[in-house]
Amino acid sequence: MGENKKNTFIYLTVVLFSFLLIFLALFIGSSQINPTDITAYILNNKAVSASTAIIIGEIRLPRIILAFIVGAGLAVAGAVFQAIIRNPMVDPYIIGISAGAGTGVMLALFLGIEIALFNLSSLPAFAFLGAVLTVFTVYQLARVGNKLPVLTFLLAGVAVSFILNSLMSFLMVLRTENLQQLVYWLMGSLAGTGWSDIRMILPYFLTALAVIVFYLKDLNILLLGEESAAHLGLNVERTKIILLGAASLMTASVVSVSGSIGFIGLVVPHIARMIIGPDHRRLIPLAALFGASFLLLADTAARTLMAPMELPVGIITALAGGPYFIYLLRNKSKNIW
Amino acid sequence: MLKTDKIKFSYDQEKILKGIDLEIKAGAFIGIIGPNASGKSTLLKNMSKTLKADSGSVYLDHKLLNDYNSLELAKKMAVVPQNTEVNFNFNVYDIIMMGRHPYQKRWSGLSQEDKQIVKEVMKVTDTLKLKTKLINELSGGERQRVIIARALAQKPDILLLDEPTSSLDINYQGEIYDLLKYLNQEFNLTIITVSHDLNLTAQYCEELLLLKEGKIFASGPAEEVLTEENIKAVYNAEVIIKTNPLSEKPFVTLVPEVNRINKRELRDFRIHVIAGGGTAKKFLYKLENLGYQLSIGVLNIGDADWQAAKELGIKIVEAPPFIDISKNEIQENRKFIEKADLIILSDLPFGHGNLANLEILLDYPKKKKLLFSNLEIKKRDYIKGKAERIWNKLLEADKNIYLLKDRSNLIKNIKKLEN
Repeated sequence: MGENKKNTFIYLTVVLFSFLLIFLALFIGSSQINPTDITAYILNNKAVSASTAIIIGEIRLPRIILAFIVGAGLAVAGAVFQAIIRNPMVDPYIIGISAGAGTGVMLALFLGIEIALFNLSSLPAFAFLGAVLTVFTVYQLARVGNKLPVLTFLLAGVAVSFILNSLMSFLMVLRTENLQQLVYWLMGSLAGTGWSDIRMILPYFLTALAVIVFYLKDLNILLLGEESAAHLGLNVERTKIILLGAASLMTASVVSVSGSIGFIGLVVPHIARMIIGPDHRRLIPLAALFGASFLLLADTAARTLMAPMELPVGIITALAGGPYFIYLLRNKSKNIW
Repeated sequence: MLKTDKIKFSYDQEKILKGIDLEIKAGAFIGIIGPNASGKSTLLKNMSKTLKADSGSVYLDHKLLNDYNSLELAKKMAVVPQNTEVNFNFNVYDIIMMGRHPYQKRWSGLSQEDKQIVKEVMKVTDTLKLKTKLINELSGGERQRVIIARALAQKPDILLLDEPTSSLDINYQGEIYDLLKYLNQEFNLTIITVSHDLNLTAQYCEELLLLKEGKIFASGPAEEVLTEENIKAVYNAEVIIKTNPLSEKPFVTLVPEVNRINKRELRDFRIHVIAGGGTAKKFLYKLENLGYQLSIGVLNIGDADWQAAKELGIKIVEAPPFIDISKNEIQENRKFIEKADLIILSDLPFGHGNLANLEILLDYPKKKKLLFSNLEIKKRDYIKGKAERIWNKLLEADKNIYLLKDRSNLIKNIKKLEN
């Protein structure tokens, strides 16, 4: 029972902290807005100026929500990848998703394709297409019969990443006018995102999340090793493929709007695991909340630190995550799980 | 319970199993033994559906193994694989509870039955005190017990283990096999274990299955399977099979290579040994390995020297214990003595029963004799000086007597007498 109380306390704290962050993020930004106006807008009890309404309702709020979705998505996908591959040094990009998405974006810019689908920016769509195609390719390359050996999967991902990265560099050399937009994308940024982005990725994100939640218990069994899991009655190959697919879909969907934001998928599952243990039924929700809060915090910093200039949020997450990871490595190298 | 029908299996082009026919009854405790690459682990994996045979079939309770879905199978069969390392720091209770997975619905919590069964298996495996410990904090033996507990939580009818003790210290090895034996006897759990440890399996398993190059070479009780010939044929190793006096099970000892030099070249030199009471067993072994043609007698059946000579396959003139050596046996002994180039008399004690063994030497003054004299005859004489008198007579009359004061010089002296 003590265990349960402790866990409830952890969750309550994290949820409270998340809400606090959301409010904080609403109040600060590059344009100065009177806090009373913001409160009024939220409570909807007093008319505010149109510009204030737009800044809060159309710029800050969707961006906060998106940061939440992206952060949670990366952390959850990272936890799933780490469990299936049974290696703590794995992040969702390991199998080439970010390289695939980046190549998609590059190709779109290079070919000058500007298809306005339902009024959406076509860049995320291309990123998504690139990511999904990459996962599919890696999967086909790694498949041996109807089995998917984890090691081949990893190596195929690394190989495809290399090829796509060099392709991307080649395209960048050929065409330089959109370079800044591209660099921002590569470093990961939520700048300029809005409700349309949320609408675009939400269906994929929710589908992937539902699948992962459905298989939470199987993830635990899978941690025992594939052979042991099979002897406990788990259909290992099927579960593995479904979960890898779901985690890839989740990563692809968030990467398509945020670019490749690093370190969240690697470090956040770690921290969550250290706090609440390896049981995924408790780990995944906590990792999601941590990832969400962490990205929101980082993104808020990204848009305010050097206002009115925006920093790519990937720089901040890497700056915060990198040293922490080194600390982990030095201190807990023995029992990193 | 479990039956395999001509199963064949190959990795790539290499044939590992070449047609295995087996029938294992419920409640059996089987040890699968054999050298590396004989296919014992592969056989186990074929029996647990981890690998699928190229041809032939496996039946579990008269139903094809392949017709079981993984959940059904997990309720009947539990497996302890070779590598039981768990990378993640679950606590012991959670790990064991995972054994209930095949019985649990996806969203249901832990049922009362789950908790009850996990508690029981923890009691049986003595893991209750480890309940809240993390799996990576445990010793090898403790971890193996936890993994076995998890397997038991599946409530299986049959338990398969692949080298369950290969990474454990000797104290834990016994502990694990004691547990298996207990489970087998107390709960009639059918157990099949793969092991490379001949002696452990011989001690504990009811039946052994000796594999050689993907085929069953021998099967049956340990006494029948673990013979010097079988081990020689399968492992190409010279061993001596003894009987463990406590369990009466066979016990395999490897003959070190150094003792085996020139063994195949028998020397053209016959030695007859007169001994008893374990005074010869140490040197019999050396002489045998040096290739001397040995005979020994008269020995009482069951005597320590008799046992050693039996194990070495030396020709023995034997007599029933506790009565005087009879005429027939003395006659038999003469035959060997007459053929021998050298007679060795060890430092054995003399009593009524075996005085004839000393007296007989008086009849062969021309034969070379090596007498152990490290222990004074007086101290070995239990018939009031009778033996001493014969001894002294021998020393006086006989020109072919050589006394050996230091037993460690035995081989050196024999070699001198040989030329």
